[in-house]
Amino acid sequence: MMAVPGPSPSPSTRLALAREDRHADAARTRIAVQGLTKRFTSTGREFVAVDDVSFEVKQGEFVALLGPSGCGKSTILNMVAGLLPRSGGRILIDDDTVETGRVNRKVGYVFQRDTLFPWRTVEQNIGYGLEIAGIHKAARAGRVASAIDKAGLAGFAQSFPRMLSGGMRQRVALMRTLILEPEILLMDEPFGALDTHTKLEMHKTLLEIWERERQTVLFVTHDLGEAITLASRIILLSARPGRLKEDFEIALLRPRDPVSLRESAEFGRLYSHIWHSLGEEFRRTRVD
Amino acid sequence: MPKSRIVIVLWQLAILAAVLVIWQWGFDWSKALLPKAYVPKILDPYFVAKPSLIWQSFLRLGCLDDSGGFAACIKGNDNNLWLATLITLKNTWWGFLFGSASGIAAGLILGRSDFLARVFGPYIVAFNSIPRIALVPLVILIFGLGDLSKIATAWLVVFFVVFFNTFEGARAVDRDQIAAARLMGASEFIVLRTVVVPSALAWVFASLLPAVSFALIGVIVGEFIGAERGLGKLIIEAEARANASEMMVAIFIMMFVGILLAVVVRSLQSYLLRWQPQFERSM
Ligand SMILES: Nc1ncnc2c1ncn2[C@@H]1O[C@H](COP(=O)(O)OP(=O)(O)OP(=O)(O)O)[C@@H](O)[C@H]1O
Ligand SMILES: [Mg+2]
Repeated sequence: MMAVPGPSPSPSTRLALAREDRHADAARTRIAVQGLTKRFTSTGREFVAVDDVSFEVKQGEFVALLGPSGCGKSTILNMVAGLLPRSGGRILIDDDTVETGRVNRKVGYVFQRDTLFPWRTVEQNIGYGLEIAGIHKAARAGRVASAIDKAGLAGFAQSFPRMLSGGMRQRVALMRTLILEPEILLMDEPFGALDTHTKLEMHKTLLEIWERERQTVLFVTHDLGEAITLASRIILLSARPGRLKEDFEIALLRPRDPVSLRESAEFGRLYSHIWHSLGEEFRRTRVD
Repeated sequence: MPKSRIVIVLWQLAILAAVLVIWQWGFDWSKALLPKAYVPKILDPYFVAKPSLIWQSFLRLGCLDDSGGFAACIKGNDNNLWLATLITLKNTWWGFLFGSASGIAAGLILGRSDFLARVFGPYIVAFNSIPRIALVPLVILIFGLGDLSKIATAWLVVFFVVFFNTFEGARAVDRDQIAAARLMGASEFIVLRTVVVPSALAWVFASLLPAVSFALIGVIVGEFIGAERGLGKLIIEAEARANASEMMVAIFIMMFVGILLAVVVRSLQSYLLRWQPQFERSM
């Protein structure tokens, strides 16, 4: 999987259980991360949060970035989004170097934290991007309404975020990003704060949308089950400092059903296989 | 109306009635019943007037029972109650409006710019340490005895209160919300308009209610120190004649002016902040 020579090549494990994703293999590279490094100074001491990470995401791929808490997943994603300056390395999106502070219209971002605007209704939150792009109210009404429908939020258009459940809020956040039709979707543990049941529902919603529209997705999570359910590839990061550890192909059949998938034998085999590697990282975190 | 509410209103009315009765007749009764040394001075009508006298003064100052008719009485008195109220209300309103508008603008600008905040920080702290009332004679010297000096005084008092709150509000804006807006294509100005301003608004309003009272205080103090018209001037004139009931009339009118302004600000607040739980209306 490594396109760029780097000092820490990662072993790539292929677990081909079924054929899928013709799109992904043939397609061009959308995100290229090369030797990415990030150092932070906190309380006067410098420490390395992300250490020489390289990977690629191809057109239409759904890549999960998996690692223990605090290993630098959000940091990596924020650098890819251009929200955070890098300490070293390069990031290319469609062969253009990512520059901090410059917004790429092709990229959509869903935050780990709830970042809905509490003073805007559901409708106004979802329509935000269109509104500030100067699209007239009448012109955006139809798109907003269909997004609300797609998210299963019919009847809540006029509600303020605080009146919604956590799952509904995250659906609004997802739609607020998707309505701008990004080709590349960066997601930072968007369902991390949800209970198991709601999480599965959200997986279903997201998979339905993704299987229809096939955005290129980079999805950060520390939940292995979630990563297997959603992703076509899992990139495993080590505990702090974040380094690339392994790269797994998840060749499960699509369309996937998040609930029945969890009961299947393939899911179990993948889970225990990756868990073995991940387990080491969790144990390392605990020792720190 | 639920029962507990009726009980509360009944208690409120009972307390009001008791206060009025003691105020009106308490001094006479205690003079008749108690030895001279124990008669409470605080109830002496010379100092605190009494409701019936206040009502008479109100009718007289307000030209409401003048034999020559309302219009002629108003014309004959340059500082009649209604004109004085209007002047004070008007100056308070403008002082409040200019003060809060400039406070909000300055708070937003300095709150969003670290550079400007650090440059101006010490000056603002220093200026804020001056008791504003100490500046009133200076303001009157500069702007004269007319309305302008009262508006300027109210401005001085209101500006800093609103400025500090807006400043804190603009700093407390959720950084991820700003990042989210940027990622959806918002420019610096659009971020300010659609994220910073609405999210700082709760902080701004927290200062606007006290700011209204401060504006009124500023105007009245200005009128005490040097004015031709207004409720403050009315009080100073009544003091010169040792007329407690006329002072009381002006004080009560000020109370109503204060309530009126607070109601206006509060209803604006509950509309603009209707997304917050405490301002939720039945939906
Ligand atoms: N602005 C910052 N200044 C200093 N240290 C930071 C900063 N942001 C993150 N860090 C540190 O960098 C490390 C990686 O943080 P990051 O948020 O990327 O972790 P994460 O993998 O996303 O964790 P989680 O799964 O809990 O969200 C952490 O140790 C964190 O404390
Ligand atoms: Mg994170």
